[in-house]
Amino acid sequence: MKVKCYIQGMAAISPQHTFDGDITTAPFVQTESNRLVCIEPDYKPFIPGNSLRRMTRVLRMGLTTALKCLANSGVATPGPIVTGTGKGSLQDTEKFIKEIEQYKETALNPTPFIQSTYNSVNGLIALQQNGTDYNNTFVHRGFSFENALVDSMMLLQEGASHTLTGSFEEMTEEHFYIKSRIGQWRTAPVGNTRLFEQHLPGTISGEGSAFFVLTAAQTPASKAAISGIKLLYKPSEERLSAVLQELGADADLVISGDNGDSNYARYYELLGEVLPKPAIPFKHLCGEYDTAGSFALWLAAALLDTGKIPGEWFPMVKELPGEFRKVVIYNHFFGEQHTVMVVEKVNG
Amino acid sequence: MEELKQKLKEQIIEALNLQDTKPADIDDNAPLFGEGLGLDSIDSLELMVLLERQYGIKVEDPREGRKILQSVQSMAEFIQSKQQPA
Repeated sequence: MKVKCYIQGMAAISPQHTFDGDITTAPFVQTESNRLVCIEPDYKPFIPGNSLRRMTRVLRMGLTTALKCLANSGVATPGPIVTGTGKGSLQDTEKFIKEIEQYKETALNPTPFIQSTYNSVNGLIALQQNGTDYNNTFVHRGFSFENALVDSMMLLQEGASHTLTGSFEEMTEEHFYIKSRIGQWRTAPVGNTRLFEQHLPGTISGEGSAFFVLTAAQTPASKAAISGIKLLYKPSEERLSAVLQELGADADLVISGDNGDSNYARYYELLGEVLPKPAIPFKHLCGEYDTAGSFALWLAAALLDTGKIPGEWFPMVKELPGEFRKVVIYNHFFGEQHTVMVVEKVNG
Repeated sequence: MEELKQKLKEQIIEALNLQDTKPADIDDNAPLFGEGLGLDSIDSLELMVLLERQYGIKVEDPREGRKILQSVQSMAEFIQSKQQPA
């Protein structure tokens, strides 16, 4: 898809200081754990206490990120709300399933059931902001956020002035354990400081929420433009090479979804061969999760907006490019869902 | 009865995650919904579940539920009436 849209404002909660911090001065948050956990803000300024008491973690993160994004964008009403999530509220889902077993399918609490549905965050945003427009949540594993983005771009093409587009994902102890049984994570602790020392089977898990107000027209406040996106399901190397070449040939910087997992390293090796350009990774900042692509988009837009790459965040990169105007993001989710996205500098 | 009401208040606070509320803050006769604690319809379902799980009492008629869940006092009286041997 080659329709252009503009990022008017954005917000992210992640394992880094992305919510309150300034990307150019915030320190790189390091951990020795293979499970990266979000730095959560104080939710009380954003969510009334009577609503907050009922919400579990990912709902608080999603709603707060969306509200901060709207505030950063100077937009009062959200318009269409389009989100993506791979797992939704895992905490509520786990609680609900455990109670089904514990209470033999009787006397089940309504709250975890309601909140375990994927579109809870969208509903909460609409309720709090009195939004009555289009409201949709995409749940397509590693394509969840990307489908929300494509849908938003189509809505803008059809005449919507702006959309609120985002993602939210959480990791729980139980789900981390389940995924460790199928070898998704490294067996020895590497944390996010030694992830790229050696490519070995498995990676580190992550979580986060990122929201964007997208507009059809450029404004003086636009932070960056999304000028191309392509989604590829289990592509052949030839097909992937062609798409990377098509979208990334004239990019100045590559943001790579490399997560140190040797099982799928061949795709990122191919990326380096097809686009031999300055490249930075991002999974050491946010970990691996279904909607990690939204963090990559946030990062690309933040770097383009500030015009600087914080060296402390990328200690593994020997030489960072001084100037860049066009960024290509390549990411895939455990070798299945592959996304190539182009983000460009605007206003300056 | 006093012991039951105290226990009930603690259970309500836990079930509804009323973080800034202490049992002493809940008046026995104050309405639970609207004013008072300001609970809503989802909370009423949670309280029905509480009655079933903690006291083995199932409220079948929603109209009856409205009366039972009026206050801590009405809930305690209902529980006691169900627990007394016939």
